[in-house]
Amino acid sequence: MQHNIIITGVGGQGVVTLGLIISSAAISFGERAIMSEIHGLAQRGGSVSVDVRIGNYRAPIVPDGKADLIISLEPLEALRAISRAGPSTVVVMGEERLPPVYLGIHRQSYPDLNEIIGVISHKLRLYHLDAMRLAREAGDTRTVNTVMVGYIVGLGLISIPQQIFHREIEKTFAKKYADMNMKAFALGLQTAQKIMATGNDTVEIQHGFG
Amino acid sequence: MSSYRELVTQQPGSNAFLLGNEAIVRGLLEAGVEAASTYPGTPSSEIGDALFEIAEEAGIRFEFSVNEKVAVETAFAASLSGLKSFVFMKHVGLNVASDAVMSIAYTGVGAPMVIMTADDPSMFSSQNEQDNRIYAGLSHLPMVEPSDPQEAKDFLISAFDMSEREKLPVLFRTTTRTSHMRSTVTFGSPRQRTRYEVLNDPGMFVTLPSNSYKFKEKLIERMGKIAAAGYEKVFNSTIVNSGSNTGIVCSGEAYNVISDVLTEIAQPLDILKLGLINPLSEGMIVDFLSTHKTVLVAEEVDPVIESGIRAISQKNGLAVTILGKLDGTFPMSYEMSPSATEKILRKMLHLERNENSEKITLGYSVPPRPPVLCPGCPHRGTYFAVKRAVKMLRIDNPIYSSDIGCYSLGDYEPFKEATVMLSMGSSIGVASGFRGATDRRIISFIGDSTFFHSGIPGLINAVHNRSRILFVIMDNDVTAMTGRQPNPGTPANLMGGLRSISIVDLVKSIGVDFIREIDPYDLRESLAASMEALRHEGVSVIIAKRECAIIRDNRNRKAGISEKYKVNPDKCSGCMNCVTTFSCPAMSISNGKVTIDPALCDGCGVCAQPYVCPFNAIQIDEVSANAA
Repeated sequence: MQHNIIITGVGGQGVVTLGLIISSAAISFGERAIMSEIHGLAQRGGSVSVDVRIGNYRAPIVPDGKADLIISLEPLEALRAISRAGPSTVVVMGEERLPPVYLGIHRQSYPDLNEIIGVISHKLRLYHLDAMRLAREAGDTRTVNTVMVGYIVGLGLISIPQQIFHREIEKTFAKKYADMNMKAFALGLQTAQKIMATGNDTVEIQHGFG
Repeated sequence: MSSYRELVTQQPGSNAFLLGNEAIVRGLLEAGVEAASTYPGTPSSEIGDALFEIAEEAGIRFEFSVNEKVAVETAFAASLSGLKSFVFMKHVGLNVASDAVMSIAYTGVGAPMVIMTADDPSMFSSQNEQDNRIYAGLSHLPMVEPSDPQEAKDFLISAFDMSEREKLPVLFRTTTRTSHMRSTVTFGSPRQRTRYEVLNDPGMFVTLPSNSYKFKEKLIERMGKIAAAGYEKVFNSTIVNSGSNTGIVCSGEAYNVISDVLTEIAQPLDILKLGLINPLSEGMIVDFLSTHKTVLVAEEVDPVIESGIRAISQKNGLAVTILGKLDGTFPMSYEMSPSATEKILRKMLHLERNENSEKITLGYSVPPRPPVLCPGCPHRGTYFAVKRAVKMLRIDNPIYSSDIGCYSLGDYEPFKEATVMLSMGSSIGVASGFRGATDRRIISFIGDSTFFHSGIPGLINAVHNRSRILFVIMDNDVTAMTGRQPNPGTPANLMGGLRSISIVDLVKSIGVDFIREIDPYDLRESLAASMEALRHEGVSVIIAKRECAIIRDNRNRKAGISEKYKVNPDKCSGCMNCVTTFSCPAMSISNGKVTIDPALCDGCGVCAQPYVCPFNAIQIDEVSANAA
């Protein structure tokens, strides 16, 4: 199995944990995985990026253009990560918008979500969902990254069976959060399965769930 | 690791998915280290976080020292007392510590001692990307460099063995990629601890010139012994893939990148992988050079190995062609990029360009997201108030002399309160130096930890020389930027009974005659104090005291306290004063009005003050019961 995955978002969204769940699941499934974490200057609120490489790799950075999958918890960060994408990269994007202070300082609003969706899907295959809404449904906004994992597994973008992820979620989180995260995973998974069933890649549908 | 404790409790033979820095902590346990010290610095910080959590259980005497020099001196004292000791820091920390390290090279150590430097090629979180492998040559000390977490653990244990045999401190170098890379590590068994007998005759560890004169020769002799002692078998490996004409010499992360690129382009060239950076293993290198027509040296930042290899080649009269940075094959800056390296190798080997690696361009300019002060960060109030005071007093074009910490972010919009910033503690040293050289007003910022680290001499210098400076000490109780480690000023209850040092008392004792303590959450008080301080002739000190917002947030979350602020849209005039001058990450513009994201708001309430919102539109949100 070979997967080159870039995970991005904003500090505090759980980017590193998302990377850990995927890497650990790959290892439990008998694959080799390595991961790189870059902790920037800000404790919270800066761009955060984690690379996960599943397969026989040594260097933890995904080479430019070689990402199979970009997972972004934030739309502008998805756009930013596209500079590292190649023609066959699939993008999975959470819709939670976190406006950088730059916008306010320059009296600008956050770009229209549909515009971002349009820009990315014009060039690359894009899946996106309101993961925050599902996280709230699961009981805690902090489960948003686990919703994304379920969504990706449901879309069949990672060839690791869901049972392995169940085990990893139980191992990763303390008991009281494990149940919530299980639910978050299931909600993401079911959303993806509905999309797969209708054969419609993107847009509209996701807003209907909740 | 859901908890660093697993580094202690997991069984030998078991596997864990570890950060390089976590593997290093496990290495300390397996090597039987008994003393460790540091000053926090990325990319080495997690080692300190882990040790802070597990030191007591693991029986390690660990401290966050006041700066890197004292950390090295602390570890050295432990070594002299017979304890296997470890000191670690970021690369620029070794500059601070180098004075002590250069002397320890001369005296040698008692019990084994390893000094770790975590370098930061590409400067992810540092002011430069200096290549600390050069310190090995400068100090004549052995240096070892791992390429991944497993090697980080194993090489560290071997480095202690080397230190034990050779009686020298061993330098251990990682880079951001090895320290912050995660991969599977197999645990070994912790060694029995030994208390070493250390001879301590008068003069043995005293660097008086007459002694040092002898120490120098002994050091060179020791290094000569190390070169002949067979350590290349422990740290280096030759990977003969094809018996190719072209070979590659590399180390650390460069080895990882080269391995992957060779697989990608299906060119199984021979590799000589060096883990022993100083002294270079001449015999092994000569063998490799003489069996290849062309040898490419792949390394990050400076041509350290390349220079050594060129010297070895010249000395041995070899005809091999050597390529690296010095001839322009590789760039002189930044970490190795896998895609750039692939291009370089394809060109060198006359292979076709890879058309699949084309990049995607969206033709869309993405608004930048530079690092920001957190919601509720007390520094925001301080910067806001000082900037306002400067404006109200019509001070034209002041010089802001800033320092290293979270508050360095005051350089960015909207505050732009940094004119100059060099290194830890430089804010006040530089500020003091402007005396008599310029008419511009000098305002200097420093954090509590950086003040203790190396700001105190600068303040003494400023007072002694009768400089005129507003010196703002932003005291948030912790070393915040590296992850909220304790420092000498941290309240005693947060650091297990150590004695807390009072910044006010310190400043008073230096003879500063204008000292105000302010709460940066109180903008009126902060503004008034800043204006008064700026009118003061001489050195005025403002201590802006308020704990780091993350500490407060964590405590509130545990206690179930959740206060949020919101914008009343009927009162919001859309003047944008809040987003353009205060710029909390929780605020943004939507449909011409400002909104506050309740998930980001930390309830500090500073924005509700009229300086930020003159229309009184920001109010506490009564119905803000957080889902969490």
